[in-house]
Amino acid sequence: MLTNIWNNIIEWFKDRSEKAQLIRSFNDSAKNAFITNQAPTLLKAKISKGEKSYRHQFSNWLNTGFRIQAFSGRQLSKEEIKQIGEVILNDNILVRRLIVLGWDTLEIHGDKGNYGLRWQLKDYIPLPQ
Amino acid sequence: MNDTLFTDTIKATSEVVTKTDAATTNAVNYWMWIAILELVIIVLLILFRKKPDSKKEQFKREAKQGDIDFGNIINSSFHVKPLYDELKVKCHPDRFPNDIEKNKIALAIFQEISKNKTNYKKLIELKESAKQKLNINF
Repeated sequence: MLTNIWNNIIEWFKDRSEKAQLIRSFNDSAKNAFITNQAPTLLKAKISKGEKSYRHQFSNWLNTGFRIQAFSGRQLSKEEIKQIGEVILNDNILVRRLIVLGWDTLEIHGDKGNYGLRWQLKDYIPLPQ
Repeated sequence: MNDTLFTDTIKATSEVVTKTDAATTNAVNYWMWIAILELVIIVLLILFRKKPDSKKEQFKREAKQGDIDFGNIINSSFHVKPLYDELKVKCHPDRFPNDIEKNKIALAIFQEISKNKTNYKKLIELKESAKQKLNINF
């Protein structure tokens, strides 16, 4: 039991560090793409509260949302948001990584308007029972 | 009388100093042993860490392997749709009804295009492949 607790503590710190690293890598890539004019819109990832009903066996206790904000200066259409979401959800490696690091919700919204989309990550990868 | 008082005072003081010294030494030993015990527990815990064996842990271990190409994800988010629309029209197998060989190649490429419709990097590779194998001008 003691070993388990110890393992969980080590695992928790590792996961935290990997989560921060993943968000940093995403934001760096998005920033580079925007600066070099490869992407017309700046994307920024951050951790959000998430949706309780989307929980799975790897979910964290708190803050289970992976939120991407698109700084386009205008209200994004549903298709534009959906396109970004589909690209992320079709990347199996990324979705798996998000799930095992404790995220269960993907949220995408723009910087203008109050419209956004939200997906349940466990729908896109079969999870072990 | 002063001498007696002075001697008693020195005696009493030395007793107090001896007792305090003994108590301090014991306390130091006590804490030292606790620290050693903690160190031993930590070393044992590190040595006998549980190996990942359950399905859940195996899934987690496997999921953490492999690199994520964030650059491609960002590019795909904004540029993949027009490229996919162009490729699905130009590489459609129905465009090669008379040439069986090309029709087969086009079918394989078209299936790959449909499978990777949100992967910009892969679609660029397929575009190059289509240019070479099917002589399509983009």
